[in-house]
Amino acid sequence: MSLWFEPRLTRDWDDPSMIGLDGYVAKGGYEALSKALAMTDADIVDVVKSSGLRGRGGAGFPAGMKWGFVPRDTGKPTYVVANFDESEPGTCNNRELVERDPHRLLEGMAIAALAIGCETAYLYVRGEYLWQSMVLERAIAQAYAAGHLGPDVQGSGKRVDVVLHRGAGAYICGEETALLNSLEGFRGQPRLRPPFPAVEGLFASPTVINNVETLMNVPDILVRGAEWFRELGTEKSPGTKMVTVSGKVERPGNFEVPLGTSFRIVLEELAGGVLGGRALKAWTPGGSSTPMLTAEHLDVGLDYESLAEAGSMLGTAAIMVMDDTDCVVDCATRMVRFYAHESCGKCTPCREGSWWATRVLERLEDGQGQAPDLPIMRDLGTNLMFRAFCALADGTASVINSSLQHFPDEYEAHVRLGGCPLKVEHLEEVPA
Amino acid sequence: MPVDPITLTIDDKEVTVPKGTLIIRAAEQLGIEIPRFCDHPYLAPAGACRQCYVQVEGQGKLQTSCTVAVAPGMVVRTQNTSDAARQAQVANLEFLLLNHPLDCPICDRGGECPLQDQALAFGPGESRFIDAKRVFPKPVPLSPLVGLDRERCVLCARCTRFCDEISGDRFLELFARSAGERVSIAAGEDFRSPFSGNTIQICPVGALTATPYRFVARPFDLTSGDSVCQHCSAGCNVRVDVRRGEVVRVLARENPDVNDAWICDKGRFAYRHADAPGRITTPLIRDRGLEPASFGEILPWLAERCRSGRVAFLTGGRLMDEDYYALSKLARTVVGTNDLDHRRAFHGGLAEVVAAAAVTDRERSVTYRDVEHAPVILLVGLDAEQEVPILHLRIRKAAARGAKVFVVHPRRTRLHDVAEHLPTRPGHEVFVLDRIREGVDGESFEARAAAALRGAGGSGVVLVGERLAEHPLAADLALAVASKTGSRFGYVTRRANDRGALGAGVHPSLLPGGRRLGVAGERAEVEAVWGSIMASEDGRDAQEILQACADRLVDVLFVIGADPLRDHPDAALTRRALANVGTLVVQSIELGDLEPFASVFLPAAPAAEKDGHVTDWEGRSQRIRPVRDALGISRPDWEIFAGLAAAMGSDLGFETLEELHEEMASLLAPRAMPERPNVWAGAGPPQWLDDLTLFTYPLLVDEGRLSDGAEELKAALEDPAFAEMHPVDAEKRGLADGVDVRLTTAAGDATVPLRVTEHVAAGSVFVPFNQPGLAANSLLSGRSTASVTVAAVDEGSGPEAVPDAALATGPAA
Amino acid sequence: MVFEGPLRADADSILARYPEDHRRSAVMPLLYLAQSVEGSVTREALREIGALLQITTAEVEAVASFYTMYRLRPTGTHVISVCTNLACKLRGAEAVFEAAHEATGVAHGAELSDDGLFTVHEEECLGVCDFAPAVQINFCSHDTVSPERMRELVAGLRAGEVPSPARGPAFDSFKAASRALAGLEEVPSA
Ligand SMILES: Cc1cc2nc3c(=O)[nH]c(=O)nc-3n(C[C@H](O)[C@H](O)[C@H](O)COP(=O)(O)O)c2cc1C
Ligand code: SF4
Ligand code: FES
Repeated sequence: MSLWFEPRLTRDWDDPSMIGLDGYVAKGGYEALSKALAMTDADIVDVVKSSGLRGRGGAGFPAGMKWGFVPRDTGKPTYVVANFDESEPGTCNNRELVERDPHRLLEGMAIAALAIGCETAYLYVRGEYLWQSMVLERAIAQAYAAGHLGPDVQGSGKRVDVVLHRGAGAYICGEETALLNSLEGFRGQPRLRPPFPAVEGLFASPTVINNVETLMNVPDILVRGAEWFRELGTEKSPGTKMVTVSGKVERPGNFEVPLGTSFRIVLEELAGGVLGGRALKAWTPGGSSTPMLTAEHLDVGLDYESLAEAGSMLGTAAIMVMDDTDCVVDCATRMVRFYAHESCGKCTPCREGSWWATRVLERLEDGQGQAPDLPIMRDLGTNLMFRAFCALADGTASVINSSLQHFPDEYEAHVRLGGCPLKVEHLEEVPA
Repeated sequence: MPVDPITLTIDDKEVTVPKGTLIIRAAEQLGIEIPRFCDHPYLAPAGACRQCYVQVEGQGKLQTSCTVAVAPGMVVRTQNTSDAARQAQVANLEFLLLNHPLDCPICDRGGECPLQDQALAFGPGESRFIDAKRVFPKPVPLSPLVGLDRERCVLCARCTRFCDEISGDRFLELFARSAGERVSIAAGEDFRSPFSGNTIQICPVGALTATPYRFVARPFDLTSGDSVCQHCSAGCNVRVDVRRGEVVRVLARENPDVNDAWICDKGRFAYRHADAPGRITTPLIRDRGLEPASFGEILPWLAERCRSGRVAFLTGGRLMDEDYYALSKLARTVVGTNDLDHRRAFHGGLAEVVAAAAVTDRERSVTYRDVEHAPVILLVGLDAEQEVPILHLRIRKAAARGAKVFVVHPRRTRLHDVAEHLPTRPGHEVFVLDRIREGVDGESFEARAAAALRGAGGSGVVLVGERLAEHPLAADLALAVASKTGSRFGYVTRRANDRGALGAGVHPSLLPGGRRLGVAGERAEVEAVWGSIMASEDGRDAQEILQACADRLVDVLFVIGADPLRDHPDAALTRRALANVGTLVVQSIELGDLEPFASVFLPAAPAAEKDGHVTDWEGRSQRIRPVRDALGISRPDWEIFAGLAAAMGSDLGFETLEELHEEMASLLAPRAMPERPNVWAGAGPPQWLDDLTLFTYPLLVDEGRLSDGAEELKAALEDPAFAEMHPVDAEKRGLADGVDVRLTTAAGDATVPLRVTEHVAAGSVFVPFNQPGLAANSLLSGRSTASVTVAAVDEGSGPEAVPDAALATGPAA
Repeated sequence: MVFEGPLRADADSILARYPEDHRRSAVMPLLYLAQSVEGSVTREALREIGALLQITTAEVEAVASFYTMYRLRPTGTHVISVCTNLACKLRGAEAVFEAAHEATGVAHGAELSDDGLFTVHEEECLGVCDFAPAVQINFCSHDTVSPERMRELVAGLRAGEVPSPARGPAFDSFKAASRALAGLEEVPSA
């Protein structure tokens, strides 16, 4: 398929040799690192700042600004941590980026390290990405052997070590402070902020945490410049974004698009439309924690601002598509069950509220629902949103609130009919 | 005006608080109580329970008031003035009650439960929750003292944070996650921390309960009194709960100057002693088959004997300031003897005097606050956790704030994770001190400690334990270290009121206020208040008194609130003394071990029934009040002394506590002590002789009298007797961990199981002083150390001969 | 003793990955290492890890029980993880999960099959939403698995075959995968 823009992160995805150092170097790999070595730390930070690169892990915080927050005079070491925990349901672009192009991540990390004067960068990989972590281990070994990492990066006398650390099955460890606890050998429960990681992060030292995709954008920005980076995307959301499309579409997969590209283009052009030509019912724009949208929102642009305006969020740009055979209550049940399972347990509303919500939703879906369950669900949405210690519970609340908002009738029908109005009939049509 | 004052408004009221204050604390200052569960003033903010929401103007989301610090001009609305905050609190309560069993009628916490109170105050009237509640097996014993009822737990993590942040005994943790999260200990392990009871007290629901208190009482059945714990010199403030005259519970009372909000498990759980079966409530006379008698009969009889005979007084460290003062005056002005001593034992005479004198000087002395804020702390000859547990917690608090802690001790202590530790053969601490005093250079422990103390800007703290006083020069050296480095100096006595006894002059050569009997000017200061002191020669110390008794040189021996058979470090001598003394007067709350020897018993009232003061290791004198009436005709000790004085035709000059206090105050006011020349001339490197030194000190929970009846406490924390030896020494003797060994000293021998551990200094053998299976004083001859040989039991006594006992404490002067 | 001989050397190499004063970070790989020896993390291993890191057993168990990839109870030779989260559910994952139970004989709610060969685990999103339904066998990915394919895979495992995953090398057991998770497996060259 021909694209209307020059791909960036995915431009060499057709080249299997990119998985190795030679392939990467043949395509200009590690030149950005050489360039960074010739720059001052402040200049590296400035270039990333002016590129407008925003964090791809969900919150969209400007990367350059984050790097600029790191105090350099504390007498403590500084750390870079790459967040490869990628666990938001529906999200798998970091996985494919690493599978196809692992060195770009290492180069991005090394540049970030130079930018904040860090000598040891940690790479936190979710445990289930066993193969991807091994790809990275191999790439790290190659980069060390070639002198792109280690005590004397490209002969500069500067040290950058990369240490890979595996998680062990906990969504919450993607949350940056929980990740730090996990990396320090504690339970992955989030930490109080302030102090923010930039000031007191890993081992109580100033720390920059970035998503894999964020970091993989960095080498090109250094080589081609901030202006080049802004050529795609929108004013406030510059660059491209990896989008995962899954669920009821013809061609699920990861696609790179300029930020601001409409959902219609992604769905129809890239993902081949709704599976079997059925009708679009609902979709999550940024993983299950972002409020779901409907067919009304087909033309919303996939960028931070437009989605906020539509009442949702770009999140991880993980689009899960539900069609008219899918029961929203059933889907919400599964999503809320996820947040209940992944609640770290620390705070009351998340731990108890998501547990309760799961009980009520399961009951509704099983046909045991009662009229008072609907106000309970509404209250749960209210009482979970912005009340918890970290943003995980906001995800739970988003599922509840958005499904109730867009599909109140479907909830009511569950109570009225004593069961799911859509269940059973369509199940055999689901292709496996 | 606080430093860095910040003014803000809470519920339309203005308040000014120091920078960094949390909103929840600022609200407290206005008398506004924001509900909370996880928040605790002595624990780091957690923000976990989410009960304490407030609205902060300008912030979109509600804030947890326990995690947010105040800012200038901040406008805060609590549940009192914000519907949003109130709604959120009600909703959160609904969450907390989902899985709560609501078994309040059978819960120990019922009636004093924050969750119950909150639910009552603004919980929803009925539950919307119709599903099955989470269930756990219940209750799970975490130790013989602590039970856990997980269904009641609200997962506020106070208990786990206490273990992590305060005691460092990380036995309790949160396990699993999400709705399955639970408090737990590791499978197959016990919650073996001497501070475990604090977790029960700070649990905001009835999840953690005290085995000894479970189902014993309802809060409305109790009468409570404020007191000060009598188990060690920490001076912990406690609340004693009494049910129908019986003490059923002890709780920590907050005092940020002393114990913060904590007490140790001994203080909390060893409260049955005063009600033990041997309690006496009237005088008893041997000649009448220990039949009850009245004071009116017994005091004239005693007075007669005291007038005509040679009298000596032995006491312990657990009377009140008033009792000691009266005793000191009775001995000096009525009976006419300086043969009186309160010290259990371990003392080197002079050294302890110096130490006592030094701390009378408030300028250079140490308080808990000084410890907490000290940048450097040096401990010598002190196992703070076992001896003065709350001081241990304060040292840990200092360490958590960044203090460097140095420990010189023959055994590793529970400060090991926060301190630098130098295991030192007993008696050799003086060499270490000498090197620190010299300020040696280099990379040694001594060099680091010296440099750190010098660099502490006058805020360093040197703490010395009572065992160090056994060495004649140790206190001199420790003082010299303190003065050379500008540090504060603390002599840490062990028993609840050793300091009160020292201060009152229950001592053969010291008068009240540290005044020396032998220095005419100092003696005159006392005589100006007391009238004439009948004998001006220094008297006998405890060991000498016992020797004199054994030698039939004493006619009447008073043993007052003490048990030398258990406590004096020379069991054989003590037995002879008791057998040979003419009249043995036991003034006590119970019959005890002295029963076979006693001629008469005088019934003293225990602390729970007394009014008076105790002086903690800092020198802080704290008032305690009776929590119940005295049983029978038992009396405070000082009243018995006053009665005896009257019977002897004299009088102590006070009849009421007020009169006594007035007189005491003039002599016990702090006074600067004259400088003492430092007499230490150095003795070169320690003599390293190939023999073993036995050393001993009491562990926190042992067979001591005050733990009588505390069976759960003993089950949780008491070990049977053992001996510890360094692997190098064990290997040399072919001894393996766990074998039974025979310890042989000049005084006796004993068989105990051996623990081979690197946590004891090479060349030394530790035995606890008074664990079940061995009273270590049977191995001692008046000191806490002795030369010892150790051999496997089945091999007989081994090849070594009993070595020269003089080596045991290193180079004596 | 779990960490004896060569395993002690493995443990040391894991410890060496982290700064000297932050050795506690090694707790996660050490748990994987213990799991690679015994097929689950035993009490003894928890104690030994605590001793290595100078933390209490409770601290180790607190960590081990937080994460789903450590098994604290007896576990099958093979662990079959079926994602049923939304992206996979929309593609029929629940039937695959059922098939896994049926084919292995692991009852719902049970830890492992009677023959000790299998543990079936319901997974949250495995990050393979583009190839839903996603399955992992011993942490090796199998893409777009149908119920029939699931039955084939189980039959193969029973016959001692090691199914080739969609990407990367195959681990023939949960123990072997755990060793790789501890970072101790050679990475095949590209
Ligand atoms: C519950 C939760 C889960 C998260 N999971 C991830 C994740 O898997 N990967 C990620 O990069 N960021 C995740 N985040 C966001 C991180 O906290 C953090 O913002 C991000 O890693 C910062 O990197 P960025 O600025 O490059 O996006 C998560 C946040 C929350 C609240
Ligand atoms: S919202 Fe609370 S319980 Fe949920 S993951 Fe965050 S801190 Fe943990
Ligand atoms: S008291 Fe504030 S969150 Fe618990």
